Amino acid sequence: MAEVISGPAPYIYVSTRLRVRKAKLLRAEEYHRMLNMSLPEITRYIEELEYKTEIDELAPSFSGVDLLEVALSWNLAKEFQRVLALTPGAMAGFTGAYLQRWDIANVLTVLRGRTQGFRPGKIKEVLIPAGSLDRAVLDRLVVEEAPDRIAEGLRGTHLYPVVERELSAGIESGNFARLENELYKEYYSDLIRVARSGVRGGNEFLQYIQLEIDITNMQNLWRLRSGGATGEIRDFMIPGGRIPVEELNRLGSAETTDEIVDALKKRTNIPALQDAIEELRCGCSVRQIETRLIRFKLEQMDRMSRRYPFSISPVLVYLERKYYEVYNLRAIARGKAANLAPERIQEHLVI
Amino acid sequence: MALRDIKPTRSELINLKRRIQLSERGYKILKMKRDGLILEFFKVLGQAKDSRGALLAAYARAEEMMAVANTVEGAIGVKSAAFSVKEVPQIAVRQKNIMGVVVPEIRGSSVTKPIVDRGYGVLGTSSTIDETAAAFEDLVEQIILSAEIETTMKRLLEEIEKTKRRVNALEFKVIPEQIEARDFIKMRLDEMEREELFRLKKIKARSTGT
Repeated sequence: MAEVISGPAPYIYVSTRLRVRKAKLLRAEEYHRMLNMSLPEITRYIEELEYKTEIDELAPSFSGVDLLEVALSWNLAKEFQRVLALTPGAMAGFTGAYLQRWDIANVLTVLRGRTQGFRPGKIKEVLIPAGSLDRAVLDRLVVEEAPDRIAEGLRGTHLYPVVERELSAGIESGNFARLENELYKEYYSDLIRVARSGVRGGNEFLQYIQLEIDITNMQNLWRLRSGGATGEIRDFMIPGGRIPVEELNRLGSAETTDEIVDALKKRTNIPALQDAIEELRCGCSVRQIETRLIRFKLEQMDRMSRRYPFSISPVLVYLERKYYEVYNLRAIARGKAANLAPERIQEHLVI
Repeated sequence: MALRDIKPTRSELINLKRRIQLSERGYKILKMKRDGLILEFFKVLGQAKDSRGALLAAYARAEEMMAVANTVEGAIGVKSAAFSVKEVPQIAVRQKNIMGVVVPEIRGSSVTKPIVDRGYGVLGTSSTIDETAAAFEDLVEQIILSAEIETTMKRLLEEIEKTKRRVNALEFKVIPEQIEARDFIKMRLDEMEREELFRLKKIKARSTGT
């Protein structure tokens, strides 16, 4: 039977399936209940969910909270791969582009780990093959000794041009931070390109991506400021958002917080975002503001998905919601293992 | 020194007196040094208490931040960010002198780094990693400071102990023994003088009798 990869049918099919999957994700009250459980109870609870297969598979190699975390990551990777396999045509291109951030994280972990002389086995433990580079490719990369051999292993992938351009400077300085920043900039520019390529809901997605870029830039502006970075911050800002990089660069050397808050507030007309920006003035921790911005982003996504039910938005919403389910479960388990108070753990949950 | 080994001569008495004078001068100087070291020790002790308190607070904060980072980023995210740290803090140890006691002066370089020099990219990490890295940098700074202060305190204590032993030895052993020897020689010399006088009187009496 021929597969239908154009017209509205694939959108309806994929959106419906992912909406069903999204309905199966954990609800806020379930996280609240878990916050009052002990670690063994949480482990049992997670095992009763869809993570059982991974926990059983990894039990011989890991134990305790490490087992939970690795199992959750493996499940996330498998689920994202399943979504990738489910989406046909232009949607697959879009989903692939959206999941490329996992490739960036994995490639950088391999590069850094090997440069620091860590054993391949140790590096493999921290890889999450949720992007287009599957476990087989990553296994090949991880056994390479030299960074240029790792780069060579990426030839033909979307990451290769940036890696090739920035690698020698990274090897010389022993620092791959610039390479990492450039890869993320390229990632966002790819997303913008894909959003403009004619997928359904592309325009709305483009607006969302611009919002995400703005929020990421705001977070990083704040981080760089509180992290003691002075002067030019242009290189750490992602182009493509609504707030121009030049303005962010100028705000990087602003003398007062009020000046930055006022300038950023003028740049948005979304009340919820304006409220979040206003909180910068009260001296809240960067993390609290980050969590608030993430919640705001997810709400925006949900709104988009409801407005455009048969577009790429439901795919996006499901990917993000799934990611934050794993994130919340891991946060509860890790927080409990570290004896953090439930209120403290709750501060970090994205519900 | 046993009294029987002492030669009861006038030159020995002069030597002994000179030695007593020297011992008493040394005793006074060592006592002053001991008191000075004790004063210095109490000064350092105050700093050590503060630095130990700050160290414990920095350790608790670093531990807490690590727990938060593991909660937010997961151990995988934290390890992945940790792979990017290549530059190890350098420690330079010099020496300084406090009342003759050589104590270390420890200076660390590349301990606290601005966010852009830490090795990880800003775009791929969150502020939790920054806060955790900053907490551990602060901890390393405190360890270096405490190492300097506590080693100084330890060296001062050793020196105080050594000086106290010397002062006690001079006060209760060397000087009393020298004084005893001096008194013994004086007594022997007086006795010898009296014997001599008596002998002369005897000779004189015998010669006038015949």
